[in-house]
Amino acid sequence: MISVEDLNHSFKIGKKGKEKRVPVLKRVTFNVQDGEIVSIVGKSGSGKSTLLHIMAGFMHADSGVIRVNGVETSSFNEAENAKFRLDNFGFIFQNFQLMPGLTAFENVELPLKLKGVNQTERQQKVQSLMQHVGLTNVQDHYPNELSGGQQQRVSIARALITDPPVIFADEPTGSLDSETEQDVLLLIQSLNKARNITFVIITHDDEVARTADRVYTMRDGELSEGGMHDAV
Amino acid sequence: MQFKDQVGFIRQHIKKNKLRVFMTVLAATMGTAFLIVLASVGFGIHETIRDQMLSNRLVTEVQVHQSEESGDPGEHVEEIKKLAHVKAVVDRQQLGTNQMSLFGEFEGNHVLVVTDFKEEGKVGFALKEGRLPQNANEVVVGSHFTDYLYSEEETESGDFKTYEGDLIGEQFTYRIDDVEGEFVEEELTLTIVGIGENPSREWVSDRNIYAHDAIIPELERIHYSDHVTGSDDHPDASQLFYHDVAVYVDKLENVKMVSNALRDKQYYVFSIADELEQIDVFFLALKAGLVFVGTIAILIASIGIFNTMTMAVTERTREIGVMKAIGADPKLIRRLFLMESAWIGIIGTVLAVVISYAVSAVSNYLLPIIVSAALGEEDFSELNVTFSVIPWQLVLIASAISISVAMISGWRPARKATKIDVINALRQEL
Ligand SMILES: Nc1ncnc2c1ncn2[C@@H]1O[C@H](COP(=O)(O)OP(=O)(O)OP(=O)(O)O)[C@@H](O)[C@H]1O
Ligand SMILES: [Mg+2]
Repeated sequence: MISVEDLNHSFKIGKKGKEKRVPVLKRVTFNVQDGEIVSIVGKSGSGKSTLLHIMAGFMHADSGVIRVNGVETSSFNEAENAKFRLDNFGFIFQNFQLMPGLTAFENVELPLKLKGVNQTERQQKVQSLMQHVGLTNVQDHYPNELSGGQQQRVSIARALITDPPVIFADEPTGSLDSETEQDVLLLIQSLNKARNITFVIITHDDEVARTADRVYTMRDGELSEGGMHDAV
Repeated sequence: MQFKDQVGFIRQHIKKNKLRVFMTVLAATMGTAFLIVLASVGFGIHETIRDQMLSNRLVTEVQVHQSEESGDPGEHVEEIKKLAHVKAVVDRQQLGTNQMSLFGEFEGNHVLVVTDFKEEGKVGFALKEGRLPQNANEVVVGSHFTDYLYSEEETESGDFKTYEGDLIGEQFTYRIDDVEGEFVEEELTLTIVGIGENPSREWVSDRNIYAHDAIIPELERIHYSDHVTGSDDHPDASQLFYHDVAVYVDKLENVKMVSNALRDKQYYVFSIADELEQIDVFFLALKAGLVFVGTIAILIASIGIFNTMTMAVTERTREIGVMKAIGADPKLIRRLFLMESAWIGIIGTVLAVVISYAVSAVSNYLLPIIVSAALGEEDFSELNVTFSVIPWQLVLIASAISISVAMISGWRPARKATKIDVINALRQEL
């Protein structure tokens, strides 16, 4: 599904004139299979989010090749990346990133609007998905009228609504208590089984990592297969 | 994204910031209304002056005069008639000497005009009564002929008494003076066979005597009777009669063409259309100046639009980031913001047009009243002065300026929105 080859990236930091380059990703190479849940763990600041941002096309790496379904996305420009994301990726963020001016229903509907789907079809799709993730009773609430768990369900529904083959999640349960975290994880697992959606989940939570089929660990920009505790 | 959804998106944003958007629209409205009303004064005065000029004279008339290089246009009438778009060429020959008509006890001095009645007929010369002259002794008189026939006797009101009887079939005596300026003894007896129609403008009076061209040799003979014939300084006939040539063009648009053709033949040419053209040029410059001044007001309003849109982009940075993360095309983001500033411009313009028409109507109604009250002149309001006119062209120009200024001022904020970095935007606190 996704293959990442020899990805290198460094950030420029410091004042102009005396900036220095800090390497964040070093020769990152790995694969994600179709229908897998892959989890990337690692210490804070190790470069997990940076890796995800590059895979999602939010930014370009210094070097390296990324292929999604055989398409080389690492050479895309901004507009091509946006189009590709709309068709292939869903996103779940730690702080949900819902639109404050839109209701739960409208938030889920947004990607379909961007895709230019007509209103009747949108209504149908959103309605049935809301039912599936158990949000029907709060669909007219605005994000500030929802609990954290409900907000994350809305954001999961928004990620799912376009039936993307891949969903990226950066600390999806980071802002939730352990009980709601369990709910969300079960939902992810069931979606993965039922719809054969590939998940790439970034976390530093062992509980989350356990739901994954495979775990990778990031250490100072270097990625290796296996959990944090299996380290050499 | 479907257009309908884009509109819905913008509506939602505007609703969220009603007051701010309202104030921005208000500024745009005021700027645009200022431009329209200001320029409308230029249009109003222009129209008033044009009307005034056109009501006094015939627009399609071109007066042709002799220059040093040209011949006498009166001798080239047939040639002028052949020019394209010429409807008629009226060559009125007038006597350049003192003349006197004696009608029983009444006396007057009427100008004797020899003209081509066929050409005159083409441009509206008609008779109220009678027929056209057929020989040297028959004449048609203008409709105000009798108003200029006075007797020695005074009426009760102190004015001179004028003739009030019949004219058709009546005879009168006509005298002219000689080369030295003394009236010649020999008189002509002329019979009135027709009376001209009233001139179309009520304040114009026609007291001419229209004669057949057979009268020319008669008059020349009388005028030069005392003169030693055969001498070197025998004056030219053209000195007694001078030609007053007017060319009538079929349509106003063609006046310029005919005027130019005549100028090519070295004639001096004068037409109301030429004069109008100069006035039009002046007013075009004036209107352009007024539109320019008005545009400054719109530019000031555009600062408001720029601020509003910049704030809108800054406020929505995180939302724009989310949209881009989900997969919104940067072009779509730009379009949404451009549409929002265009919306402000369009609503502002529509309101401005409505307000301008209202202001224009009210000022056209009130200003004459105020001015007449201030000047103490009662009938000023009856004077046909238009202060403000808003033609559709002005509405079009103002709308184009206002909407494009709105879009231009929204351009940078919209570009800023497309440049928002997804990662930074998502990092923003809620
Ligand atoms: N825009 C940036 N400019 C400079 N340095 C950056 C930038 N973004 C991230 N970094 C640095 O890159 C490193 C990796 O950051 P990243 O956000 O990928 O870490 P992470 O593994 O996701 O950490 P966490 O678990 O805390 O989210 C950090 O040391 C961070 O300081
Ligand atoms: Mg991170």
